[in-house]
Amino acid sequence: MRNMRTGRILVIAALLAAAAAAVWWAGQHWRQQPAPVIWFMPKTAAPEMEFWQVMLQGVHTAAAEVGAEIRVAGTAEEADVEGQITLLEQAVREKPQAIILAATDYNRLMPAVTQVREAGITLVTVDSGVSGEPAASLIATDNYEAGRKAGAVLGSMLEPGDTAAVISFVKGSTTAMEREAGVRDSMSEVSGLRLLETRYSDSSIEQAYQLTRDLLEQEPGIKAVAALNEMTVVGAARAIEEAGLAGTVRLVGFDSSMDEIAYMERGVLDATVVQRPFNMGYLAVRTAASAAAGDRVEPSIDTGSVVITRSNMYTQENQKLLFPFVE
Amino acid sequence: MKPLRWFQFKSIHTSIAIAFSLLIICTTLVLSYNTYRVSSGAVTDNSLQYTAQLVEQVSMNINTYIANMQSISELAARQEPLRRLSMLEEAGGGGAARLKEETERLFQSIVSSRSDIAAIMFVGSSGIVASSREDAVPKSYKELSGQDWYRQAIEADGETVISSSRVQHLFEQEYRWVVSLSRALPGTEKGMPGGVLLVDLNFSVINDLCSRIHMGSRGYVFLLDPEGSLVYHPQQQLVYSGLKSEAVDAILASDDRTFEFEAGGVRKIYTVHSSGYGWKTVGVNDPDELGGSKGYMQRAAALWGILCLAVALAISVILSRRLMKPVKALNSNMKLVEKGHFDTRTDFDSPNEFGRLARTFNLMTAKIKELMEQVVQEQEDKRVSELKALQAQIHPHFLYNTLDSIIWMAETGKMNEVVRMTSALSKLLRTSISKGEERVPIRRELAHIEHYLTIQSIRYRDKFTYEVDVDPDILDCLILKIVLQPLVENAIYHGIKNMADPGHIRISGCAAGEDIVLIVEDNGTGTDADQLNRMLAQAEEAASRTAAAPAGVGGQGQGGGSTASKGGSGGVGLHNVNHRLRLNYGEGYGLRFESEWEEGTTVYVRIPRVPRQEE
Repeated sequence: MRNMRTGRILVIAALLAAAAAAVWWAGQHWRQQPAPVIWFMPKTAAPEMEFWQVMLQGVHTAAAEVGAEIRVAGTAEEADVEGQITLLEQAVREKPQAIILAATDYNRLMPAVTQVREAGITLVTVDSGVSGEPAASLIATDNYEAGRKAGAVLGSMLEPGDTAAVISFVKGSTTAMEREAGVRDSMSEVSGLRLLETRYSDSSIEQAYQLTRDLLEQEPGIKAVAALNEMTVVGAARAIEEAGLAGTVRLVGFDSSMDEIAYMERGVLDATVVQRPFNMGYLAVRTAASAAAGDRVEPSIDTGSVVITRSNMYTQENQKLLFPFVE
Repeated sequence: MKPLRWFQFKSIHTSIAIAFSLLIICTTLVLSYNTYRVSSGAVTDNSLQYTAQLVEQVSMNINTYIANMQSISELAARQEPLRRLSMLEEAGGGGAARLKEETERLFQSIVSSRSDIAAIMFVGSSGIVASSREDAVPKSYKELSGQDWYRQAIEADGETVISSSRVQHLFEQEYRWVVSLSRALPGTEKGMPGGVLLVDLNFSVINDLCSRIHMGSRGYVFLLDPEGSLVYHPQQQLVYSGLKSEAVDAILASDDRTFEFEAGGVRKIYTVHSSGYGWKTVGVNDPDELGGSKGYMQRAAALWGILCLAVALAISVILSRRLMKPVKALNSNMKLVEKGHFDTRTDFDSPNEFGRLARTFNLMTAKIKELMEQVVQEQEDKRVSELKALQAQIHPHFLYNTLDSIIWMAETGKMNEVVRMTSALSKLLRTSISKGEERVPIRRELAHIEHYLTIQSIRYRDKFTYEVDVDPDILDCLILKIVLQPLVENAIYHGIKNMADPGHIRISGCAAGEDIVLIVEDNGTGTDADQLNRMLAQAEEAASRTAAAPAGVGGQGQGGGSTASKGGSGGVGLHNVNHRLRLNYGEGYGLRFESEWEEGTTVYVRIPRVPRQEE
């Protein structure tokens, strides 16, 4: 009996020692636990692409907050879909906690994205999604809403009976279709407006310029043009300025660039709808970290868009969007 | 009682261990908790102090930059070409162009040595524009004079205006982040301002300064201008889009201090420091991050607490085991002694209580052993004596003689006496066999002796008479078996047998205090009573001295060698009786002789008064 009690005490002591060792080990482990690794895969990693650089700032800001380690993997050119597929496959082999992907192609990345899911890696898409494979969350601008904003600005400058045109960039692109639908829905609220058939610039400044020149010739009474991406805006603005129609033919565009700002300052471009890439990057990392930790996340998050006009381009808020401070 | 069972320990060892452990647990808990509290408080204070220092540092650096801008502005404003340029009322003319050129050279010489200055520009109310930049085309006067910095400087009427961080768009196709310092310069005597001098500080200078500041992984510094707009904020875009917010109003209202602010479930610790130009430098700490290191400290405190506890518990168990080891050894030795191993010795070298206890225990064991041996000895002794008493009682010679007497009486036809004698012998034998009891009531002993006397009186016809006169009160008291017979035998054989006249034997008895004294008297030849007494004493001494040897043997030897009794058996019988009495009743009891030559002998038997116990 006595020996039993002694044994019990010894057992208790041993258990305590074991517990202490476990806590010690856990403490060590906890201290040495590496930060979760998140791969950020923009459409391009080219340093001159401000949109993605700003997004990267947001990514790093959020990474510091959630304590994640970020690996950036992007191709030199946005058109290099194969390159992104290769990078994505490499990312899957590295087995990070999460991948944030801005898909360069809606369909062609699908098989690689399937691998991501099969590897049990959390996938968050940003800016552009992938067909078929649902990501944990899509963080992007609501392009339809952005289109509606552009349409509203343009509509407010027109009168019933005026003629307007929409120049889109790539036929079949979801972004283009959503923006176009927004613009058209919004502008159709202006009664008696004559909306011409949509033309496609194929994301070429030159083609947009030619298209716009043709348009101005064919439709001399045209009052407004909505250009759905940055290249198209620049091409259209050039054509309008050359024709000496700045201020007469109203132009509303999307996104921002130095060229666009210059056209805006010269009064050629009346308004542009810009996205919030910093917020996109920030929210993508936070969402990816939450999803990787097993928390429920919103399947799609709209980061919003802002209408920039000549009068508000130098406000505190908009300066940051138009002139990102990239160190 | 049930719930307490766990705490009822059978061994002191466990109790001590538990007591130690509880003590240690309490101490460790209190110590750990206090250590944690004190150190976490110290760390929090340290962090906040560190933050305050950083914030002050940043604030001072920014002050320096702005003071530099101010001094550059003042330096430029004092220069002759610029003063004259601002006095110009007309932009045209060769003089104006030359002044502009001189002013621009002046600006360039100032800027050339400084990388933090983005540009210096003078916009005169005459429409003239002079800038430090040769490589960039300034915008038109119309456009420039519509810009905020120009309008604000004019409104400020000569006072210095410092802008928030902003995108400067002085030149075509150039958009730089700057902080602008502008002031109106005096114009002609009419009191109209002659133009506005602008000094632009590269915002990257401030950006670098602030972004380099790291306070933990989540702490940061931001700058607020007097209107409440963010000059610098690492997450400016998040603030603008409403994903983050800062307590701008509280900060603007606050003087230089540290305070905690909670908004929308997010707690922040703000450390505010005002610079001389209305800007506020604000350090932001996440209280949870200060608490993060608190968490680490909590864990560390708990960890070390548990570790110390485990070690202390182990030590307490070992210590209590060591402490209780002698007791356990003593205990197991006691068990051995219990089982009869009296040779067990407990040896501790320690001089403490346990050592003393062990020595006492050893002494006790030795004593017990001695006593045990003594008891064994005495038991043996008694047995032997008793055997001898029995032998004495049914002495073969006595039996033969009695039987011979019976035969003789039968031959002579004395049938009555034959019957009497045989009956007496039969009863004598029966009583002597008895039931194996050691002690019998005096009544029975007397009956026994009466049978004996009956036989002897028949054998020694007319040789002696006898009487038994014992106080009836003591008849039920107990006496050792076969005490009187040897005495009567002795009286007959040594006192009366050799007498010419018929003798008389008297057996009397009475209580004497706590004792009983039985007396056997005869009026025979008498004997040397002193010698007899001495002989008994000697025999006792010898018996107790040679403890190993049964006393009876010595007694027998002594008896054999004794001269007082002519027949050996008599002496043997007497001191065997004495020996037995002593063994059974102890010192002070036994036989005592008194004798007078030709007068007779008296034997006193002293025994303790032991009333018969009802069984």
